[in-house]
Amino acid sequence: MTEKKTTHFGYEEVAVDEKASRVADVFHSVAAKYDLMNDLMSAGVHRLWKRFTIEVSGVRAGDKVLDIAGGTGDLSFKFSRIVGEKGLVVLADINESMLKVGRDRLLDRGAAGNVVVSQADAQFLPYADNTFDCITIAFGLRNVTDKDLALRSMLRVLKPAGRLLVLEFSKPQNSLLGKIYDTYSFKLLPFMGKMITDDADSYRYLAESIRMHPDQQTLKKMMDDAGFSETKFYNMTGGIVALHKGIKP
Amino acid sequence: MDENAPNQATLDPTLSTAALAALESAINTALKYDPGTRAALTKLAGQILALESTQPPFTIYLQATDTENQTLRVFADPDKQSSPTTQLSGPLLAIAALALKDSSTLANSGVAVMGSTALLSDMQTILSQLDIDWEDALNQVMGDLLGHSMANKIRFLAGWTQHRLQSGQRLISEYLTEELKSLPAKPELESFYQQVDELRMNVDRLEQRIARILKS
Repeated sequence: MTEKKTTHFGYEEVAVDEKASRVADVFHSVAAKYDLMNDLMSAGVHRLWKRFTIEVSGVRAGDKVLDIAGGTGDLSFKFSRIVGEKGLVVLADINESMLKVGRDRLLDRGAAGNVVVSQADAQFLPYADNTFDCITIAFGLRNVTDKDLALRSMLRVLKPAGRLLVLEFSKPQNSLLGKIYDTYSFKLLPFMGKMITDDADSYRYLAESIRMHPDQQTLKKMMDDAGFSETKFYNMTGGIVALHKGIKP
Repeated sequence: MDENAPNQATLDPTLSTAALAALESAINTALKYDPGTRAALTKLAGQILALESTQPPFTIYLQATDTENQTLRVFADPDKQSSPTTQLSGPLLAIAALALKDSSTLANSGVAVMGSTALLSDMQTILSQLDIDWEDALNQVMGDLLGHSMANKIRFLAGWTQHRLQSGQRLISEYLTEELKSLPAKPELESFYQQVDELRMNVDRLEQRIARILKS
């Protein structure tokens, strides 16, 4: 009898082919109030993390940008303003509910013409080789079942000298901050989730998935192994979040 | 700072980004009440002015845009990927003084310029013509009646202060140049700078000529 391959879903071990649907359920559940919860959970600081990501991206007019796990389209909206009429932004997400919210928000804010919306799995990106100048994945990589496969897929669709930026929760660099952060994310976060979206489990998954995500050095090595060059990371807010950057050779 | 990111500033990026976001928001909010400046900046859309402060060491970039609700983008670009149209480098105080004073030359300012000087000149002109309609902003918060009365008071106070400062500055300047004769007058200085510029250009031409003669 062959043993079924497993992966983690928060602290739970689940079958590999089950993780995507479990993650999908979480995001179907939170999509409608995703932005509100992000603002509450991070006290609005997620906007600064995303702003810094845009600064590091070096995206300029005419560029093609892929915003994977783009969710409600925060980064896509900003990129659409920078790339201008001659550029292109692809807002991609595996989750239909998140994508619908993102598409509506982009239209409501007047981003159209240079933005397309695409339902895509980060592990098997449905785009031609060497297409994009920049790829971003903000708070999405930890939900991907096979992260190495996804990194290789991103490398494939990037143009040579194109940049990958991974914005993700990481490991606090200070033990006191780590303890405060643990208390906050395991006690307060599920409570806030319960109050606002009536869904404590999704936010418990969020806290657990952050702890299971590779730390700064491990993710950097994964990017090196996938074939990226000049990989580095920026710690933000004491390492609670890290921005990794790699360039396609 | 992280060992993987040698270019990164020592300040946590969250804090530096917050400061720049606040600055950008304040500038763009103020520009809402000055359509003339907004229109002038829109004509410079895409051009980037880099301000590199050597003391304290940091660089910020100002980019004019033509998008709604944002006339000026203020960013840090930690990996230095932008290609600024013009770059000013020097101590922060010297750069700030340059923005405030009405000067036609960078000589002796302690600020070095790289790239196109046209953008610098355009920016200086725009800055000198800045005319924010504070009354409109006050009216939106306080209503027309109270806003207008408050604006009148502020206008009077600002005019009086500006007049005092200008006459004080003129008197000191006249005393130093005319009475004490310890400093050259502005026209003399400008003529001197012009002569230096002409000399530099002549030397450049001579250098080219010598190079051509040696080649032939």
